[in-house]
Amino acid sequence: MYLPRYIKQLVGILGVSLLLALPLTSQAGDLLPSIPKGKGDKCVEPTADMRINHMEYILHQRDDTMRRGIRTSKHSLKECIECHNAPAKDGKVARVGNKEHFCSSCHIYSAVKVDCFECHTDKPENAQYRHAVKGNH
Amino acid sequence: MTVLSIFFALLFYAATAIFVIGLARKIMQYARTPAPLKIPTTPAPVTQTGVVLRMAREVVLFASLFKSNKWTWLFGWMFHLALLLAFFRHLRYTIHPDGVFGFMWPLINNPIVLAFGQYAAFAMLLGLIGLFGRRIFVDRVRYISAPSDYLMLILLFAIAGTGTLMSFVEHTDIVQLKAFVLGLITFNWQNMPADALVILHLGLVAFLMIIFPISKLLHAPGLFFSPTRNQVDNPREKRHISAWGQAIDDAEANKA
Repeated sequence: MYLPRYIKQLVGILGVSLLLALPLTSQAGDLLPSIPKGKGDKCVEPTADMRINHMEYILHQRDDTMRRGIRTSKHSLKECIECHNAPAKDGKVARVGNKEHFCSSCHIYSAVKVDCFECHTDKPENAQYRHAVKGNH
Repeated sequence: MTVLSIFFALLFYAATAIFVIGLARKIMQYARTPAPLKIPTTPAPVTQTGVVLRMAREVVLFASLFKSNKWTWLFGWMFHLALLLAFFRHLRYTIHPDGVFGFMWPLINNPIVLAFGQYAAFAMLLGLIGLFGRRIFVDRVRYISAPSDYLMLILLFAIAGTGTLMSFVEHTDIVQLKAFVLGLITFNWQNMPADALVILHLGLVAFLMIIFPISKLLHAPGLFFSPTRNQVDNPREKRHISAWGQAIDDAEANKA
């Protein structure tokens, strides 16, 4: 059968690219990260808004608190952690850098560095989770 | 699935097909184009290894451009380096850390890309502004500038600009965006975020992919086919003869 050369080329390239694309399909499965559910009913802002702008709220709150001395709890990182990283039934608390941690579930997925926890704690404030003091003090 | 997501999914499949096939055809055309003369620009390397090194210097440092014009080199190199960083920063949308290609994650999740990937945007915009200024303010260059020269710069500026705005001013849901991209790759379509900047950014990128195989951006593969750069300087040691020249030689030999 006569076919112009460029048609043959097209068919060839298409065929090869489809073959090359086959292993990609094995990547299918969970395309979205699994995000741990929060303790409360709803967030301080609508979920869709939080997904996009949470970092702005937290940074804005930081500036208000640290530079102007206005200390409220609405956008405070501490409250985020209290609600979103509550301990599991067995009492274990997920740590940042681990996919089970609320922040890390998406931050690992999208390769965005979180530097909040270089200083702040990634666990809710609760004496129960503190290490026992060892030795004589 | 939203109508928007279906439209963009189809658009990207079409754009990818045009980009890959168009580029492959162009590369084949370049590879088949005869280079009948031995014309390496001297001083040229006398071994094949030397040619590889010379080519690497051209690709990585734009050596010839540096010798020719420092300003063009500065802005051009700045733009391309930023493009490389932006490429690695965008790679995160195409790879799932737990997927089959998770082993490539260190390419994305490393200090250089994490620290500079985002800010490369500014170097890219600056480079493009410089190259645009060159076309306007340098008389000789303005005289030879065609509409497509401006179009390419404007298109790249618009793509970089919308990306920079999303990164620093008006954010979008990048988790949903990544799901959309992974969905395209794995043929398991997902919705994309319906923000104006994402729509604009992705639409312009699709347009760029479509016109790439017929644009001046073909200098990317074309560079490797420059006879003045990719030839070994050994005309005395080894006779340079093209395929059609060889055929004539053989015919002559058969006659005799």
